[in-house]
Amino acid sequence: MGGEFKGAVRPRRMPHARGGQALIEFAVVLPLFLLCLIGALDAGLWAVQTSAEVSAVEQGAMIASSAGSSPTSQTAPDARAVTAAISGRLRTALFGTNVESWCAPDAGGGCAPDAAQRCPSTPVEVQNADGPRVVVVCVSEADPPACTPPPRGRVAPFPPGCEDSPLITVRVVGFVASFVPPGFGPGAGAFELPTNISATTHTLRFAP
Amino acid sequence: MRRSRRPGDDAQAVLETALVIPILLFLICNFIAVMVQVTVQEQLNAATALAAQSRFQAPDNAIDPPGMECCGTGHGALVTAGLPTGCRYAAASFYGTMTTYTGLLHWQLATLCTSGGGSGNAGNPPAQPVAYAGSPSSADVSCDIGSITAGGGVVPGYTDRALNPPSGLDVVECSASASLDFANTPLAWGVFWTPTLHARAEALPPPFRQ
Repeated sequence: MGGEFKGAVRPRRMPHARGGQALIEFAVVLPLFLLCLIGALDAGLWAVQTSAEVSAVEQGAMIASSAGSSPTSQTAPDARAVTAAISGRLRTALFGTNVESWCAPDAGGGCAPDAAQRCPSTPVEVQNADGPRVVVVCVSEADPPACTPPPRGRVAPFPPGCEDSPLITVRVVGFVASFVPPGFGPGAGAFELPTNISATTHTLRFAP
Repeated sequence: MRRSRRPGDDAQAVLETALVIPILLFLICNFIAVMVQVTVQEQLNAATALAAQSRFQAPDNAIDPPGMECCGTGHGALVTAGLPTGCRYAAASFYGTMTTYTGLLHWQLATLCTSGGGSGNAGNPPAQPVAYAGSPSSADVSCDIGSITAGGGVVPGYTDRALNPPSGLDVVECSASASLDFANTPLAWGVFWTPTLHARAEALPPPFRQ
C-alpha cells in the first residue's frame, strides 16, 4: 500500500528567497502593466472622443453656415442653437467631462456669436478659468471689414473682401477626462487629455 | 532546504527584460500612431466636406477683386484675385478647420480651383479636371467648382455620374492628400511607416440654386 505513493510529488514550500523575488518582480511589473493598460485604454478613449468632437464641430459649422439658408436671410447664426446642438452630442461621448457653452451675451439677453474673439483658444485657458475636466464649446464670428468708398485708382468693393459673409468658427477646447480618476495621477490633471478642435466656414448671407 | 541562485538566473532575467521592453514599446508606439492616423483622417474628411459645402456660401458668379488673397498657409498666401469667391471660401474653410496635427502632415500640393472633372460610366470616360486660369497651384486642397469661359460659356464642376445616371449631377468636389510623418515625434522610435491620407468630398448646391 505504501508503495502506491512512492514517487508522487510532494508539495514543497516555496523557499523564502524565491517568494521575495516573486514579490519584487510583481511589484515591478504591476505598475508597468497598469501603465500600458491604462495608456492603451486612454489612447482608444482619446481617439473616440476626438472623433466625436470632430463630427460635432463639423455639424455645428454646417448649422452655423446654413443659419441664413433662405435667399432672403441676412441674419447671423443663432449661437445658442449651435452650441446647444453640439453640446448635446458631446455630452454622450465625453463622459466624465463637463461640457459648457460659451457665448457672448447680446443686448437682448440672447447669445450672440463672439465677434471679439474672446473665446478661449487653448486648453490651459479653459482649465484656468473653469477647472479640470471641462471643455468649452464656443461659436465665434469674424466679420469682414466695412466697405468704404474706394480711393483713387482702386475699384469697389473696397477694401477687398468687404462684401464677404462672416466667417464662423466652432471650437471645442479644454481637457477631457481619461480613465484615471482625479487625484490618482502624478499631478493634478496629469492624465487629462487636451483637446482643441475647430471647424470654420463662411455663413450664407447672399444667395442669388 | 534553501536553493541557491544559479549564476545564469540574473543574465536570463536581464535578457528577457531586454527583449520584452522594446517589443512592448514598439506595440504602444504603433497603437498610438494608428489612433493619431484615425483622428487626422477624420479631421481631413471634415475639412474637405466643409470646403466643398462652403463654395455655395458665396454668390454663384462673384469673382474676387484684384489684391485678394487667402489663408496663410505654410507655402505663403494663396492669391485668389480673378477666381470665383466660392473657391476662396472653400480654401478658408479647409485651412480654418485643418488646424491640428499640421506639423505632422506633408501635403501633396494641388491646384486650388479646377473645373470640368467627372466620374465615368459605360458611355462616358472619366474626365480629368482642368486648372482654373490663374489658380494657385500650391494649395493643400483642390476644389472642382466649375468656371465661366471668356465667351460666357459655363463649364460645370465635377459631374458625378453615379448620381442621377447616366447624365449625372454637377457637384462641387474637393480633395486633399497628405502623408503623416512621425519623424519629429517621440513615436518615431517605433513607427516606421508613413501613411498617406486622402480625403474627398462632394457637395450638391442648395435647392434654390438647382
